[in-house]
Amino acid sequence: MSLRYMIPASKFKKYLPKDYVELVDYGPFGKDYNDVGVKNMGTYKELIEEHPMCSGCWMAYYIKIIFASLPNPEDTVTIGTAGCGRLAISQAAVPFIYGNYGDQNAMASGITRAFRLRFPDRHKDVITIAGDGGMMDIGFSMTMHAWFRRERFTTIMLDNEVYGNTGGQESGMSMEGAILKMSPTGKKFGKMPAMQLAITAGCVYVVKMSPTNINKASKAIRRAIFAARTLGPTFLHVYTSCNIEYSIPTNDVFRDAKEMEKGRFAYEEYMTDEAKELFAQIESKNKREVS
Amino acid sequence: MYYVAKVNSEMCSTHKCNMCTLYCPEANTLMYDKEPKHGNANGTSWVDEDRCKGCAICVYVCSDLLDRNCIEMVMVTTEEA
Repeated sequence: MSLRYMIPASKFKKYLPKDYVELVDYGPFGKDYNDVGVKNMGTYKELIEEHPMCSGCWMAYYIKIIFASLPNPEDTVTIGTAGCGRLAISQAAVPFIYGNYGDQNAMASGITRAFRLRFPDRHKDVITIAGDGGMMDIGFSMTMHAWFRRERFTTIMLDNEVYGNTGGQESGMSMEGAILKMSPTGKKFGKMPAMQLAITAGCVYVVKMSPTNINKASKAIRRAIFAARTLGPTFLHVYTSCNIEYSIPTNDVFRDAKEMEKGRFAYEEYMTDEAKELFAQIESKNKREVS
Repeated sequence: MYYVAKVNSEMCSTHKCNMCTLYCPEANTLMYDKEPKHGNANGTSWVDEDRCKGCAICVYVCSDLLDRNCIEMVMVTTEEA
């Protein structure tokens, strides 16, 4: 989407929905990241509209951070698949494509290539956002093959360690022994090593984290998007609890995320030498611009 | 009736803080007004009650983490919301 398509003619403005007009007047489109972005959430109109995700959902929170961190929202396309996450992702003012049952990374491969042919002079950011089921179970082969082919887009896995949208079945990312509504005898094998798989398959930037520090979470998202523009596939593995299936009281959701950060979702970051060099260039340039 | 967060703006404005707005899972719900209003010293957070889903994560941030106790959960009727 181009920014000029967002802006309505002044005479037409009064007939448009209030939320749309607010988005044009007070949204982040075309603005400097230092004036909007995650640090200023709550002071401008964010890209996501109301959605049906549960009260206190940490996945909804992380999706909000993703959209607030986009370096160039007007030139971004998100692709998702079946699962809770798409309920919010599809409600953002960023074009969303629904990949059918785990084929989001296959679709993103084609879309990224098409964008490079159609818009050779500009970066169009493609981001796939799906749950642990869509990414590591049902969409596993398409996720892995996109990485093996070194397709240049960002993959974000929202890991809630369960199929939350369909009543609580175990996923490949559930912990061994996890007892869930639809796996009452406990899971019989361990959690898949998603981060190691991504590194082995050729991702140039990989992060595993629990989003409790907003700046750190945002930095990882932006780095993943920047590296995917020129270097190769990038992958973020993020803990986004399901407070319904794991029975976490809503006011304890943040506390739970912090506990996870001390355990199996301790912050881990991998990058190639090329990616390291790229981030040093981008981040030193940004510092100079701010100062 | 709905269960929503309510910010005590007088107490909130004594702290130059927008931490609750950074951790609310809902977009465009817990907002921060930078301009001081109603005789308050600083800006203050405020809740769009129509959008609040009542999770109380903001109360955890404000009371448990920061010990500032500026937000409470209240029941409101549809007329008030």
